[in-house]
Amino acid sequence: MDFKKVVFSSWAGKVVDNRGLEAEACAPVEELNLPLEYDSSRVKAFMGWDGFLVVDEKADVVDMAYAYAMEVQKLACGECAVGRIGISVIVETLGRLVRGEGREGDIELLQWVGKGMKDNAKCVLGQTAPVPILDSIEYYREAYLDLIKNKKAISASTYHVKIIAPCMEACPAHLDIPGYIELIRNQRQGASLDLIRQGVCLPGTLGRVCTAPCEEACKRNDIDGPLAIRALKRHVADWEMEVGQIPPVSISGERGEKVAVIGAGPAGLAAGYNLALTGYQVTIFEELPVAGGMAAVGIPSYRLPEAILDREVDIVRGVGVEIRFNVRVGRDITIADLWKDGYKAIFVAVGAHKGRAMGVEGEDKGYEGFVDGVKFLRDVNLGKKIVPVGRVVVVGGGDVAVDCARSCLRLGFKDVNILYRRSRVEMPAREGEIEGAIEEGVKISYLVAPTRILAEGTKLVGLECVKMKLGEPDASGRRRPVPIEGSEFVVNADMVIAAIGQEADLSCLAGEDNVKVSKYGTVDADPETCQSSEKGIFSAGDCVTGPAILIEAVAAGNRAALSIDQYLREGGAVSGAGASRVGRSAALAAQREKESTISRAPQPVGCLPVVERIPGFPEVEVGLTREAAQEEAKRCLRCYRVMLWQAGE
Amino acid sequence: MVELIIDGQKVEVAEGATVLEAAGKLNIDIPTLCYHENLTPFGACRVCAVEVVVDGVSNLTTACDCPVEQGMEVRTVSERALEARMLAVELLLAKCPGSEAIRSLARDMGIEEPRVELETEECILCGLCVRTCQELVGVGALRLVDRGLNRDVKETFVEASTDKCIGCGSCAYICPTSFIKLEETGNTRTVWDRVFKLKKCQVCGNYWAPEAQLEYIRKTCNLPSDFFDVCPNCK
Repeated sequence: MDFKKVVFSSWAGKVVDNRGLEAEACAPVEELNLPLEYDSSRVKAFMGWDGFLVVDEKADVVDMAYAYAMEVQKLACGECAVGRIGISVIVETLGRLVRGEGREGDIELLQWVGKGMKDNAKCVLGQTAPVPILDSIEYYREAYLDLIKNKKAISASTYHVKIIAPCMEACPAHLDIPGYIELIRNQRQGASLDLIRQGVCLPGTLGRVCTAPCEEACKRNDIDGPLAIRALKRHVADWEMEVGQIPPVSISGERGEKVAVIGAGPAGLAAGYNLALTGYQVTIFEELPVAGGMAAVGIPSYRLPEAILDREVDIVRGVGVEIRFNVRVGRDITIADLWKDGYKAIFVAVGAHKGRAMGVEGEDKGYEGFVDGVKFLRDVNLGKKIVPVGRVVVVGGGDVAVDCARSCLRLGFKDVNILYRRSRVEMPAREGEIEGAIEEGVKISYLVAPTRILAEGTKLVGLECVKMKLGEPDASGRRRPVPIEGSEFVVNADMVIAAIGQEADLSCLAGEDNVKVSKYGTVDADPETCQSSEKGIFSAGDCVTGPAILIEAVAAGNRAALSIDQYLREGGAVSGAGASRVGRSAALAAQREKESTISRAPQPVGCLPVVERIPGFPEVEVGLTREAAQEEAKRCLRCYRVMLWQAGE
Repeated sequence: MVELIIDGQKVEVAEGATVLEAAGKLNIDIPTLCYHENLTPFGACRVCAVEVVVDGVSNLTTACDCPVEQGMEVRTVSERALEARMLAVELLLAKCPGSEAIRSLARDMGIEEPRVELETEECILCGLCVRTCQELVGVGALRLVDRGLNRDVKETFVEASTDKCIGCGSCAYICPTSFIKLEETGNTRTVWDRVFKLKKCQVCGNYWAPEAQLEYIRKTCNLPSDFFDVCPNCK
């Protein structure tokens, strides 16, 4: 983003005033980390929570302040007196000014109310909204005085608005998090769930397994701990189940076109759900006998009970999505067949279900006792009988590895070990999962990597391993593990589970030479539009990005549905929604003069005591009660940030 | 126990107490409007604003819902606290000049006429009715409907589920602006636009309470079906 020459900026409290100066004398605005990805020629003026900025000197700052105040009012919850009445005074006063009905004392009135809101409004929106308006009075006072004196009306300009919040931006699906939390606070569980479903069709699932990037971005991290956003989502999903409510369905029109989706994982379900709601006829082809993808066969039921996912899959089918099980595209039916059958668009969402090879001597020999982690979890989840052995060693440090280890304990294995080649800090598995594993008795060895499988005949008996040390960071930013010469040692084992990563099985694309595949074995598709290199074929989720988190797959499925809809309506190449990029580069945490907030401890999200977890697969995490959910919801600071800008031609 | 300082005076209170409760222990009066000692605090009216210093950092916050912290320093009548409080009261006065509770607050603070003229409203969204119905009565027939993103609500309001309502009138009793109207005529009571039949005492013949309310109490307390056939005066 390039704002080298601005007329004026007060952003982040750093005033740059180039008014009346010749081009050479203008101070450049360098480190202006503004939340826009337009270049300077396309923005005339901008107003946001931390100040305002003028690029075209003809932009009318008072009109912009009025438009901004109106947007704030729409967003203001209206609960606190100072925020609600305050913003209405500001809107009313600025409205009179731009209509030529300004009065003596209007400036002082705006400053009095603005300061009062900054100091004493209940939420962050009320406290930060007046900042740019007060800035505009301080630095563009002449413009205000001029309106009061001359009593002439200004013609309104057109503005673009975007509402963001740190949590909303961190969420790959950009859910309205402060919104749904607020509804929980006001005891409107159903409305909260409706709002969540506008963005994701798997709230109960996500409420249990999402890694919650929103919680990492939560402003309360700096005060007393983030909001338990994930647990709040789970709370409303569970509430709906408890009261036996069926979600209302509203399908907007009938489109008639048939869309084929390959894979009933989170990306496929999300795309199918959205397309069906738009009126398309959707069929999902799923090779397994169950739907849910990794959520069904990768995540064990002590993290995500079957009943939860089954219900959510039923809800997706309830809006008209057909799922055909035990059909493998590429074997039972081909893409060519799908075109012949009259499908007008195809969405490839096969995920990444193939375990990656460890690169260890002997792993391809088919030794008895050597198991692929993804297959192991799939077998567990599909109810296949697994007989415990003496000692099992799981290789890997991600969620699949930890899930394998904790599942082994629940199946009756007594000696369960994890070998990870880096240290605890670099382990990618969710922190809560690692802690759970250790609590339950999984033994984790760090800085160890296998080099060779040891076997007697056809049976695996152990692993030759080497100790590692951490060197320079690699492409992922984590320190690279480096073997320590001469530190080889033997680990005895009766079963070894390889869980070091997954890759996509793209055999459904056999013969589809026009669909480009990257050198990493992923489908080459546009990250925004999900378009592949072949017209009419779209792809998203783990088969495009490599293994990622569930919410990213859901968000990708949402985007794919929008693109497919646009493609089927207009034909031709699909254009990405440019506005979705606005806000990405924002330093959303930064806020001028924002005081610290009184500390209020988060509601703990409990877990079953260890003795109750094993054997068997009861759900480990306990949800929030209604009272706890309401208490937790009250902690939300409502960090909505309004961005308003006037675009150039 | 937690020790804090309010307006220069030390006070010790139990952990979990609020600044307002601690001030009360010292007989320091902080004006309130949406607060009630039997309800969870809401922080909506912003009238009880005080200045709080923790670790050298000064905050303005509402006393009713601010948990005490060891060593906290509170100033209830500092310039900043007073300015904030007066703004809150003045805005409320402009919005709801008919409320005696608000007029009384304004008088105490020396505010005569609000400097703005606004479209007046009778409900100030203090949430007392919502909290009373939820926490004291236990019925929860009232909820706040807020504005917000993706919500088509022009003005925030209190929504009544008339089918849940038992007609007890606690909300009308607690409302500081008389926005909630309760009318009784002979054998009926009307509140939230729903007409409730009143129960007639079998002894004196007076209509004394809504049947719906009595039925709710009877069921909740597991009382026999004829428990309320005779009014308390005649029992």
